[in-house]
Amino acid sequence: MIGEYFAGLARDIEAKLAAEPAASSARKVFALEVARLGVRLYSPGRPVAWCGVLAPFDLLNGVGVTSCFAEFVGAMLAGMGAATPPLEGAEQAGYAADTCAYHRAVVGAAMQGMMPVPDFLVATTTPCTGGLAAIENLARLFRRELLVLQIPRAETEAGVRFLAGQLERLARFAAGRAGTALDAERVAAAVELSNLTRGLMVEIYDLARKVPSPVGNRDLANFGIVVPLLMGTQAGVDVARATRDELAARVGDGKSGVAGERFRLLWVQNRIQFPNPLLKLLEDEYRAVIVVDELNDVTWEPIDPADPYPGMARRAIGLPLNGPAERRVARLRQLATEYRVDGVIHPCHWGCRQGTGIRGLVQRGFRETGIPVLNLEVDCIDARSFSEGQLRTRLEAFLELIAGRPRASA
Amino acid sequence: MVRGMMDRALVGFACVYTPLPLLDAAGFVPWRILPVGDAPDQAGRLLHDNLCPHVKRLLDRAMAADLPPLAGIVFMNSCDAMRRLPDAWRVARPSDRVILVDLPASAADDAVEYFAAELRALAVNPADWGGTSIRDADLEDALRRYDGLASSAAGLRAQLARGELPGGAAALQAAINDVTAGGWPDGAARLAASSFVAPAASAAGDAARPASGVPVFVFGNVLPEPEAFALFESCGARVVADDVCTGSRVLAPLAPATDADPYVRLARGLLGRAPCARTIDPAHPGGAATRVVDAARSCGARGVVAHVAKFCDPYLARLPAIREALREAGLPLLVLEGDCTRRSLGQQRTRIEAFVEMLESR
Ligand code: SF4
Ligand code: SF4
Repeated sequence: MIGEYFAGLARDIEAKLAAEPAASSARKVFALEVARLGVRLYSPGRPVAWCGVLAPFDLLNGVGVTSCFAEFVGAMLAGMGAATPPLEGAEQAGYAADTCAYHRAVVGAAMQGMMPVPDFLVATTTPCTGGLAAIENLARLFRRELLVLQIPRAETEAGVRFLAGQLERLARFAAGRAGTALDAERVAAAVELSNLTRGLMVEIYDLARKVPSPVGNRDLANFGIVVPLLMGTQAGVDVARATRDELAARVGDGKSGVAGERFRLLWVQNRIQFPNPLLKLLEDEYRAVIVVDELNDVTWEPIDPADPYPGMARRAIGLPLNGPAERRVARLRQLATEYRVDGVIHPCHWGCRQGTGIRGLVQRGFRETGIPVLNLEVDCIDARSFSEGQLRTRLEAFLELIAGRPRASA
Repeated sequence: MVRGMMDRALVGFACVYTPLPLLDAAGFVPWRILPVGDAPDQAGRLLHDNLCPHVKRLLDRAMAADLPPLAGIVFMNSCDAMRRLPDAWRVARPSDRVILVDLPASAADDAVEYFAAELRALAVNPADWGGTSIRDADLEDALRRYDGLASSAAGLRAQLARGELPGGAAALQAAINDVTAGGWPDGAARLAASSFVAPAASAAGDAARPASGVPVFVFGNVLPEPEAFALFESCGARVVADDVCTGSRVLAPLAPATDADPYVRLARGLLGRAPCARTIDPAHPGGAATRVVDAARSCGARGVVAHVAKFCDPYLARLPAIREALREAGLPLLVLEGDCTRRSLGQQRTRIEAFVEMLESR
């Protein structure tokens, strides 16, 4: 079902672009490449690896393995309005409803035959313990080989060496699964593409910082978390370039993403993945724009193509979701200042210990800045518990509060 | 309760992967911060309600100053909730010395090497916390002392499995709590002395010590109250063995290792012993289920009780596989969800009784 969905989506977008090239948009290019990735995941051919969120997708692309973080399936199902059957399936099998619904959805999807059987799996210890356990469960259900990337907490010399060694072994293993020996030149070529994409992402986020911002509430939704899946490929560069060009053109034309931008917001961690009216409410009734998502961020340096593993290790270790809360909160505060935001929305995805564990500390961290934070109790995947009325009331009250304060961008 | 305070400073810990011999070698008494007591529920101000009650109870104790003077606290990076605890602790008690030691998720060779480097970094300057600098020989001594302690505990566990331990599982739990909450380093002698177990047994209540009962195996994360074990026994179950992180895992022997470097030996010993659900063996996905079945079988249990803290991802995620493996092995399972309050377990009495009745009728 999901494979057919991706194939249909890719066909539709391709047909539209062929019929009306002028109607092309960055978001369409993005959607097309994501659909094509979905098609590759669901069609036999190249080896496939289901992974944790922080797997090095550029490296896996470089050695010829199609890879994806498993939570992507949860998000896709939610986006299609189809997450309930797998969630119920997982719960009936004993997976507690208190755990992250991304993982419940994907385990349920695997049990219901909605996931392609991978060649192997790569768990990552960051961002969450639940994610590590979910990949282990998938390896058990699929009876496939499991590799674990242990991501150290701090960028010590020993830590970088530890992770770099694991990455190199992963590269050798994955290349073997793709039927080749590890080819340093192919990896270097993938790293070059990955660095190009990174550079374009920096430009995109610089553009998003402008006042008014050229981004609308959907333009960069899930961008920073999904583009890494395309890194190390030309498709990643193409998506990033199309996005950069479109935003640059808007800035050049003096157009903002939300007409008459009034409030600028920072969104912490995950977007709500199922269809819901909140973004429209923000835009239409308050002219409020999410100028920055926490996950739309570049926190790593370009990687040396000739010696990629230490750089990839630093990239994973340095991610604010890894490391101490203090570092993550400091980065959030920095983003809030750089993007001149008026308020912060923290959805606290139910079941995510990463998000809920840090909620109070984020709130506290922003107290000194005077920037208000709205904590929403919401499940970003499981629409069954979505209470539109309640969220709408809280969002409205928050925006009224912001309205009574001076604009950060004034 | 707090022994060793007069001569050696206490260092708090909260996880069985804590390198206790290292703290001992640095001149400290490791002191287990248990999720017990009556500290008011305040942790929700810093940590969400939907987070491990073990971690929240520890923070409650910190916020209520319900702790002895501690030279510092060593936390292990065992799971999402545990890595948030030092973050919140630093906010709640900024003057405490708090450290988070990274903990690999598996016992692979490079993980052992990395963990050893973390332990060496921890050992760099104990004087900053009022301890003494560590020579390799000190760590060797401490490893020997720990071995002694672990083999005393193993002896008591063997007695428990044979049904010969005075006071049963409740007494053993009381003894473990006593040693881990300040009874170090003379704990081995104290654990070995039957005179020590007897008073603990009577403290747990004679009525809670049936001579017989249906043998059960208990596994899970935190269950530090001797009263909890007394409750099982008063419901007709005889706890013959446990795999609980406040129970048998606390003083478990280190996995044998031949490395010459004592830090590597300690790292391998800690990572290589029977793991809790947060540690995985990539070669055996779902290995937690096999381990539970094997442990239950080898102690002759007729049923298994899982006592799992609410919101504990490592355990909640493994329960379905464990349930399935136990079903296949013909071993009934009772899952109790805990929130680290006595009340929550007391409310489960009827379910425990029904479970024991069902086991008796098989
Ligand atoms: S939402 Fe949280 S628990 Fe779920 S996958 Fe993301 S970080 Fe992990
Ligand atoms: S009980 Fe579970 S969630 Fe809590 S500290 Fe232990 S492993 Fe972590």
